[in-house]
Amino acid sequence: MTNLILRDLVKRYGDTEVLHSINLTVDEGEFVVLVGPSGCGKSTTLRMIAGLEEITEGTIEIGGRVVNNLEPKERNIAMVFQNYAIYPHMSVRRNIGFGLKTAKLTKDEKNARIDEVAGILGMTDLLERKPAQLSGGQRQRVAIGRAMVRDPAVFLFDEPLSNLDAQLRTQMRLEIKKLHTRVGRMMIFVTHDQVEAMTLADRIVIMKDGYIQQIGTPAEVYHAPANTFVAQFIGAPAMNLMEAQGTGHGVKLWNGAEISVPGLSIPAGRSVTFGIRPEDLKSDATGVLSGTVTVAEPLGSETLVYVDVDGHEINATAPGRTPPKAGDKISLSLSGEDAHLFDTASGQSLRLS
Amino acid sequence: MASNPSIHDTIPQEKQPAVTRGGFYGRLSINQKRTLWAWAFLAVPILFYVVIRFYPTGNAMVLSFQEWNLLGDRTWNGVDNYITLFSDPVFWQVFRNTFAYLLIGTPVSLVISFIIAYHLDQVRFMHGTIRALYFVPFMTSAVAMAWVWRWFYQDVPIGLFNNMLASVGIAQIDFLDSTTNALPSILAPAIWAGLGFQIIIFMAGLRAIPRTFYEAAKIDGVSTWTVLWEITLPLLRPTIVFIVVLSSIGFLRIFDHVFNMTTANPGGPLNSTKPLVLMIYQTAFDSFDMGYAAAQTVVLFVILLIVSLIQLRLLKDR
Repeated sequence: MTNLILRDLVKRYGDTEVLHSINLTVDEGEFVVLVGPSGCGKSTTLRMIAGLEEITEGTIEIGGRVVNNLEPKERNIAMVFQNYAIYPHMSVRRNIGFGLKTAKLTKDEKNARIDEVAGILGMTDLLERKPAQLSGGQRQRVAIGRAMVRDPAVFLFDEPLSNLDAQLRTQMRLEIKKLHTRVGRMMIFVTHDQVEAMTLADRIVIMKDGYIQQIGTPAEVYHAPANTFVAQFIGAPAMNLMEAQGTGHGVKLWNGAEISVPGLSIPAGRSVTFGIRPEDLKSDATGVLSGTVTVAEPLGSETLVYVDVDGHEINATAPGRTPPKAGDKISLSLSGEDAHLFDTASGQSLRLS
Repeated sequence: MASNPSIHDTIPQEKQPAVTRGGFYGRLSINQKRTLWAWAFLAVPILFYVVIRFYPTGNAMVLSFQEWNLLGDRTWNGVDNYITLFSDPVFWQVFRNTFAYLLIGTPVSLVISFIIAYHLDQVRFMHGTIRALYFVPFMTSAVAMAWVWRWFYQDVPIGLFNNMLASVGIAQIDFLDSTTNALPSILAPAIWAGLGFQIIIFMAGLRAIPRTFYEAAKIDGVSTWTVLWEITLPLLRPTIVFIVVLSSIGFLRIFDHVFNMTTANPGGPLNSTKPLVLMIYQTAFDSFDMGYAAAQTVVLFVILLIVSLIQLRLLKDR
């Protein structure tokens, strides 16, 4: 079984430690997405797995074999880069076949492999073209083809969709997901886009400042974020966070509204951060959060509404048909069951601890 | 402004701007104004080129069919200059020398400068200093350099190279006084002088190749040679074309090094180092045979043109 294990992985550039003891196990055939803001160490982690960056401390194991000191080609991996890294002076066929240069196959076998991969990617009729004659999406497909042709145990993707326009990105995202189903190999995908992470991943690894914040399925990280960073990073629009104090059986919000939170006892007077997702707020005349709509952003299916509640900006979603307008007075109700509670000082979730 | 109604009438009313500026300039479209400014700025260099470059070039071509000793009248003599030239054994010797400079100088300097640039690109330690060291010869006066090298080449006990050879017990070499050694001996400092420039250009070309190309190749596990032959060199093609054309023109016009290293005996032993430009110089300013010199210049011009065109054609992107 080919699995990937990162043990206490540390990366330092000089005295600056950019990755702090990363631990992660990825199973065979799993699709794992590393996601986080710029500089969180996700790309560095990927490049260490690929063998493009030295490992300062810790070990990387692929299929039970420590690969720390193995060259990239000996690790049985393939990588797709953000800028495609396909060679402009070679035809698509030669680009895809470049990865087979060292393979011990006859010319016919290599060509058969290239044709097979081109067939899967739907670019058989583009094989003799030069990259300059291809669109961005087609170029990225060539890059994926070059990775596929070697049939590696692990596919590594370094922000492969970031150079594509929004529509193409959605389309390629779907294609990569289908490809994963088809080839069934382990894929590790780096992105800063949480939508990409949510849609593609079997499991998401959320990173920040060189630390892993949370590892979980898309549903887990969405419904049970481990801390306020994950809560705000995953999901768009971001979760509303507000100050509150414990009341024993629930919390009292900063504006005095009391909310009972089932299944959680919070000592009275303890400072907590109360989180609620925009879609869990309902427009309701008896709601506890009342304010004025400052901005309404219609998205068609729904409308994002920014409400000024006693100086706090609260984000809510309203149905698309009869959205409130800027300047409208609105009241929002919420249920304690949808609430996410975090320790104010540490930002850690109170439900998980 | 409205004093000339006939011009005014030709402009359709609806296209007239709300505020019309008077005069010829005010009525031009944005594109016409841009063109006008472009030509205004181009006028100076064009004038310069016409007076300083094109007129003398044309004049030289005319002169190549005339006889002139710089003081007397210019008299027509048809293609006599060319006939003299092509039947002159010295010209053919010079022709061979010129192409020897070109055919040895260009590839040797290209390979050496690429090898240095390729490795210098990977060096981080004292990178700037090392690069500057290679660039210094390019900034140095060719005359000064030629004389220093001339000293290097002298016999024992003066010359550096022969002293070094003598100290390890090897017979001294006639560098500049031998018909076989003189040309390579003069070519060496000429190549060395141009290296700095070529290295800088190569390094800029190397830097322009995205790192991910190499990383992708590393992951594919291809050898360093494959990377060099199939990625680096093809992607350096525009840089190589530039350097080949530029250095070829340089070697075809070689003069300073030859002139200064063989002043006692211009053109080396038995004309073995004499390039075309030196022959032109001697014909013009030693023999004052301006028409003949002009004919030689036209031949050089044609050679430069043909060599450059062939190279551009051969090295162009297929």
